[in-house]
Amino acid sequence: MSVSETQILTVEDDERIRTAVRLALEEEGWSVDEASTGEEALTSFTRNPADVVLIDIMLPGIDGFEVCRSIRRTSDVPIIMVTARNDTHDVVAGLEAGADDYLTKPFAPKELSARIRALLRRARSSDSGTSRIQINGLVVIPEEGVVLVDEREIHLTRTEFRLLVELASNPGRVLSREDLLQRVWDYDYFGDGRLVDVHVRRLRTKVEIDPAKPRYIITMRGMGYKLQPE
Amino acid sequence: MSKERAPRIFTFGLQARILFSYAVGGLAISLLLAAVTLTFARQQLVDDREASAAAIAVNNASRLSNQLTPESTIEDVPGIVDSLTRIEGAQTIVRLNSSWLPAPEIGVADLPASLVSKITDGSPGQMRSSIDERPHLTIGIPLVAFDADYFEVVNLSDVDDTLNTLQIIVGSAAGFTTFLGALIGLWASRRTLRPLRRVGEAAAAIAGGKLDTRLDDQNDPDLDVLTESFNEMVEALEDRIRRDARFASDVSHELRSPLTTLTSSVAVLEARRNELSERSRTALDLLSIDLARFSRLVEDLLEISRFDGGVAALENSSIKVHSLVSAALRTHHLDSSILIELTPLSDLHVNGDKRRLGRALSNLLTNGIHYGDGITSVSISTEDQLVRIAVEDEGPGVPITERSKIFDRFSRGASAGQRGDDTGSGLGLSMVHEDIRLHGGQVWVEDRNDGKSGARFVIELPMTAEGELDL
Repeated sequence: MSVSETQILTVEDDERIRTAVRLALEEEGWSVDEASTGEEALTSFTRNPADVVLIDIMLPGIDGFEVCRSIRRTSDVPIIMVTARNDTHDVVAGLEAGADDYLTKPFAPKELSARIRALLRRARSSDSGTSRIQINGLVVIPEEGVVLVDEREIHLTRTEFRLLVELASNPGRVLSREDLLQRVWDYDYFGDGRLVDVHVRRLRTKVEIDPAKPRYIITMRGMGYKLQPE
Repeated sequence: MSKERAPRIFTFGLQARILFSYAVGGLAISLLLAAVTLTFARQQLVDDREASAAAIAVNNASRLSNQLTPESTIEDVPGIVDSLTRIEGAQTIVRLNSSWLPAPEIGVADLPASLVSKITDGSPGQMRSSIDERPHLTIGIPLVAFDADYFEVVNLSDVDDTLNTLQIIVGSAAGFTTFLGALIGLWASRRTLRPLRRVGEAAAAIAGGKLDTRLDDQNDPDLDVLTESFNEMVEALEDRIRRDARFASDVSHELRSPLTTLTSSVAVLEARRNELSERSRTALDLLSIDLARFSRLVEDLLEISRFDGGVAALENSSIKVHSLVSAALRTHHLDSSILIELTPLSDLHVNGDKRRLGRALSNLLTNGIHYGDGITSVSISTEDQLVRIAVEDEGPGVPITERSKIFDRFSRGASAGQRGDDTGSGLGLSMVHEDIRLHGGQVWVEDRNDGKSGARFVIELPMTAEGELDL
């Protein structure tokens, strides 16, 4: 895929914001689809799946969370939520609906394109070097993007997969939230730790037998997370 | 920042005054009762004594008169007197013609002269007087059939003794009553002041930001009025504050959408600035700079409205101080060599909100860069259980009178007006203050330690105790 073919779907009901964001993204050389409602977004995505989806939470009709969940049912496309608030409720709800990252209005287009680039890099990254990592019943094959739990294949979003690979590549080593934010999301120190927390939670519901008593992904209080090697 | 009060010279508290009133009231009532009791007791005792003594004296006088004959001399009198009825503590003196029969312990000279002359004149009488410094009652009866008088001198000392004993008892009772009054006063004042104290505590809690504080129903018709009006007042206050905060928050939210359009549009123009004329480029630069400033102002106002609405929440985690400071320096493109660690603890942690602490530090750095002619050093040190992060600049410093005001909103200090490229929102330092306060720490500005010109801003935070790490 060359950069010029990268397709971005922006879902935003405010026409002026939509147009301005389209202009800014087109400056980066990306091609942009627009949708002003959730329904329109789902139709557009089915017809022409994008490489990255940008969803505003406040939409008339079905809201951004629901659009996100609907897309997640069929696709692991990177999703960025756009919130009008930095409130924990909106951010966490957006991430739990399946978003990979979030931005708060008013965002700088530079920040937006940096987020998109990080997600695209992640979406295509499958060259982590290690061919196969096995920890008890958990098998990660980075090159093929495959995760097996007790010989059963698990479906992860790309961000969840990258997160698991980072942890699994360093079994037993504690990775701080800041480490993980840098490695998986390409954020600096001041990245939002809630991204890591919610993604770890989501990852646990998929790879752990009992997410409340994790066997693999262990929380190290005050330090970060680690993958238990035995 | 408390207002100057008029100096208190000598003022008692309400509790002391209530206690004092009860004690004084108790004392006054018991003294009055004691006085009344003693007066009546004295009257009663003395009257009884006088009445019985007078009755016996009259009787004795008539018996003496009957046994006397015109030929009797003073030598005959003791024999008759001995046969008369004795009054307890009384002694008899008799005059016959010009001779006196004195009593064993009392001479004729001891009799009150005015009474003697009255009796001698022929009318009976009685009089109280002091003989040998003891109270006595003298009853005199003239024996009209002879040239003779009969005197009975009654010692009233026992009455006085009884009265003295009574006085001691009543006095003790008065003292005890006063003490009891003081005790009741203490109890009453505590009880009376309890609702007041509760109001005081509630008001302090509200002033401290706990706007949902209310007074409990006291089940007392007198206090319910106070409770109700207090709660209504707080309700109105809370409503007012929340409404103000919500308004600021709503305004900020509403501004976010147009700001997003503006920011994206300006970025497109920036990307194509080569296509613009010189004049358009200048206009674009002005637009860009003030748009950035406007965005920051909106963001800061929104944050301030959270502080004011009491909804600013901490997303706490354990933060390694060194990483935090290093990251803040990187964000501002400052060389890491200006970071001085004055503490041997390499893994110093605080429990806090990374975003807020980072912003506080960042605001101090921005402040130092823009208004302090650049940052010269950032140091980390510890004292007791406190971590201090100090940011020093080489500007003119902050005059002592400006040092607390500088943390007020939209305060631009003494350097106001000297700034051409001011891009700050004017809220930066006030947000540092709020953010650090939220963490239970404090921030202040002082002179640089090395005596050179410049300001030294210090953030002080409680250190995370061992085993208190919280993710």
